[in-house]
Amino acid sequence: MDSRVITITSGKGGVGKTTTTANLGTALAMEGKKVALVDGDIGLRNLDAVLGLENRIVYDLVDVVEGQCRLRQALIKDKRLPELYLLPAAQTRDKNAVNSIQMEQLCQQLRQEFDFVIIDSPAGIEQGFRNAIVGADEIIIVANPEMASVRDADRIIGLVEAAGKPEPRLILNRLRAEMIRRGDMMDVADVLEVLGIDLLGIIPEDEAIIVATNKGEPAVYEKRSRAGRAFLNAAMRIIGQEVPLDELDESPTLLERLRRLVGFGPAPVEKRIRSQSS
Amino acid sequence: MGVFEFRVGRKKPTPGELAKERLKVVLVHDRLKLNPELLEVIKKELVSVVSRRLDIDEDQMQVSLAHEGGTDNLRTSIPIKRQKVKFEWDPPSHTPSTELRGKIHIEENDE
Repeated sequence: MDSRVITITSGKGGVGKTTTTANLGTALAMEGKKVALVDGDIGLRNLDAVLGLENRIVYDLVDVVEGQCRLRQALIKDKRLPELYLLPAAQTRDKNAVNSIQMEQLCQQLRQEFDFVIIDSPAGIEQGFRNAIVGADEIIIVANPEMASVRDADRIIGLVEAAGKPEPRLILNRLRAEMIRRGDMMDVADVLEVLGIDLLGIIPEDEAIIVATNKGEPAVYEKRSRAGRAFLNAAMRIIGQEVPLDELDESPTLLERLRRLVGFGPAPVEKRIRSQSS
Repeated sequence: MGVFEFRVGRKKPTPGELAKERLKVVLVHDRLKLNPELLEVIKKELVSVVSRRLDIDEDQMQVSLAHEGGTDNLRTSIPIKRQKVKFEWDPPSHTPSTELRGKIHIEENDE
């Protein structure tokens, strides 16, 4: 079985790594894949809460690594999806409780059981980050279209490359179409031009993400959530399906539709990306 | 400042464009681990080389880093002090000659 270990990272904190991990993992499990989500943020565990599994934790990643329990004992089964599991982070330890060799071994172990192992990396570029990428086949970088986040993403790209990993792919999160239209926010094409990596997904800013996190149910379950649908699309791209990158153009305003009909106004994002990368 | 590339006559850059241009500059520095002091050293060395041949305006000279067309570039702008260069042909230009004989007049502009 060729399983894939994917690490979700960003450098900067608060850009949506944990949300992305929860949603991509859930979406892949909805597609019938066997998925393990690993919370790599030791000391600041959160993935459990985003998935609504915070009350079920008995053992954690550090317990497994230290041999206090078996891997199967620490894996928590999802509430809804029978093929989705969480390996929670330890909350009372710090990120130096685990080393790179242990983490790589853990990934090898998880590979035996799962189609996808998705690791939620902590913010920063220290040991926790290095642990998160050491066993990964693929890296996904989450960034927001603002300077600090893109700058950190660039730094991460360099570190991933230095670690001998393949070129990471980008999920651009929290885009605000209206701000982009006004020129107040960097466009998808702008960020791609600066970073020079491939795009895996475009996630619009969406209040449904906060609602979903409050409920402990990832937004991919919510068909009306634009962000949820965008995460679903990104998951489809991970398993090799071609889904057009038109997440920002889903519901154009009436005025916009008229403009497009007449042939004025900005081209849809997808076209701009295409023309830029060619 | 001249660091950002917005053509003259174009309207003010939008905050989005500004962010992109600022990012490009900061990333070139980050990637090359090049700090402003080192850039100043490069500038000084350029001045010493170029000024051997040309009378340049060191105060107006600019050295900056930019990411354009997929590569990181060191961009310099070195204004030459205003001089008029005139070349008088001797013999007249219609006479074929393998040798160039003439006088170059360099006049300082009285500005």
